[in-house]
Amino acid sequence: MPLLTRDIVGGLVAGGASCRMDAEVAPKFKAGDKVATLNINPASHTRLPRYVRGKHGTITHDHGVFAFPDSSAESGTHSDPQHVYSVRFEGEELWGKDANANACLYIDMFDSYLEAAES
Amino acid sequence: MRVKALETLLSEKGLVDSSAIDTVIELYETKIGPRNGAAVVARAWSDPDYKARLLENGTKAIAELGFEGVQGEDMMVVENTDSVHNVVVCTLCSCYPWPTLGLPPVWYKSAPYRSKVVRDPRGVLSEFGVELPDSVEIRVWDSNAELRYLVLPNRPAGTDDLSEAELAELVTRDSMIGTALVAAPAS
Amino acid sequence: MNGIHDLGGMHGLGPIDQEANEPYFHEEWEGRVFGMFFANFAQGHFNVDQFRHAIERMDPAEYLQSSYYEHWLHAFETLLHEKGIISPDELDRKQAELSQAGDS
Repeated sequence: MPLLTRDIVGGLVAGGASCRMDAEVAPKFKAGDKVATLNINPASHTRLPRYVRGKHGTITHDHGVFAFPDSSAESGTHSDPQHVYSVRFEGEELWGKDANANACLYIDMFDSYLEAAES
Repeated sequence: MRVKALETLLSEKGLVDSSAIDTVIELYETKIGPRNGAAVVARAWSDPDYKARLLENGTKAIAELGFEGVQGEDMMVVENTDSVHNVVVCTLCSCYPWPTLGLPPVWYKSAPYRSKVVRDPRGVLSEFGVELPDSVEIRVWDSNAELRYLVLPNRPAGTDDLSEAELAELVTRDSMIGTALVAAPAS
Repeated sequence: MNGIHDLGGMHGLGPIDQEANEPYFHEEWEGRVFGMFFANFAQGHFNVDQFRHAIERMDPAEYLQSSYYEHWLHAFETLLHEKGIISPDELDRKQAELSQAGDS
């Protein structure tokens, strides 16, 4: 792998390092679908925060196919490509009666974090 | 001193060129900051077609103005309206759209902000001096994956005659995170 | 992992301190750490997921009491050690050497 030199800084910063993957992977869900997050508790890396585990929400956007961080942290390379969605959770679903009035959360969820829920 | 020791060791092993680190620092300190995001917002306020492209594909529309790259590879722009207010956080670390906003302020990376804004966004907005009626829906965006979010603030009243450059002057960093509103120009 | 980094929803972490006209780097070493991220990334020593996980594995009390760029420095030390590039002993020796040379 290259030594970072002055000459390549500009290109590296402007080019970035997208975790988007050019893989043909079918989405499990579409905008409007009701989903539930899994209740997982791995000791390894995950981007599923505790406060949204085991909660019900609705898919609002499909962002396309990205590497799955839980796998990439183990392999050291972009791994396990899958769809990422914005999922909307109502405040009451996350915080019960202590939720703010008229507030909700949008968070990016990988297919591996989700299962279908009753609408 | 610990940092100096690490950089010296990496340099001795041929793994770091210190002049490249100088270049990285200079690039961010001079070229990459919230004025970039403000230019995007001002363009969206001035050009309805651009705004439509921006909301449809944030990454591409932002790149039209030359802003792209590390921590802005995949952008989504969310629009504030009279009935919706958006605010952005990263509860797990400190993900932030570098090409448009630069590097995040300490408060954005801090435990108080990251812990509270998802549970009590109205309380956090109040700490920033923003009070919104319950009729306005608050949407908190937790950027936990590789999407990065930029808030398109509400255009203030009384700015119809301003040029795009003048509009950009009004747009603050915090208004594009969602912890502030854009104030009308002092008359 | 169910670590201290997973802060969403916690109570009692205090008020949000804002700073007017805040610089990107409060001290010179912070900029060096920031730049080293790009250098280490270009070398392919680790990916961003491994970098984040190294921060998540910090001692929880230390995590809360240290700053953002201290987290980054911790992650570099952890990962460069795990990849066999720089050992903690080697880093300690270099730090002592620089201190003795009076180079601060």
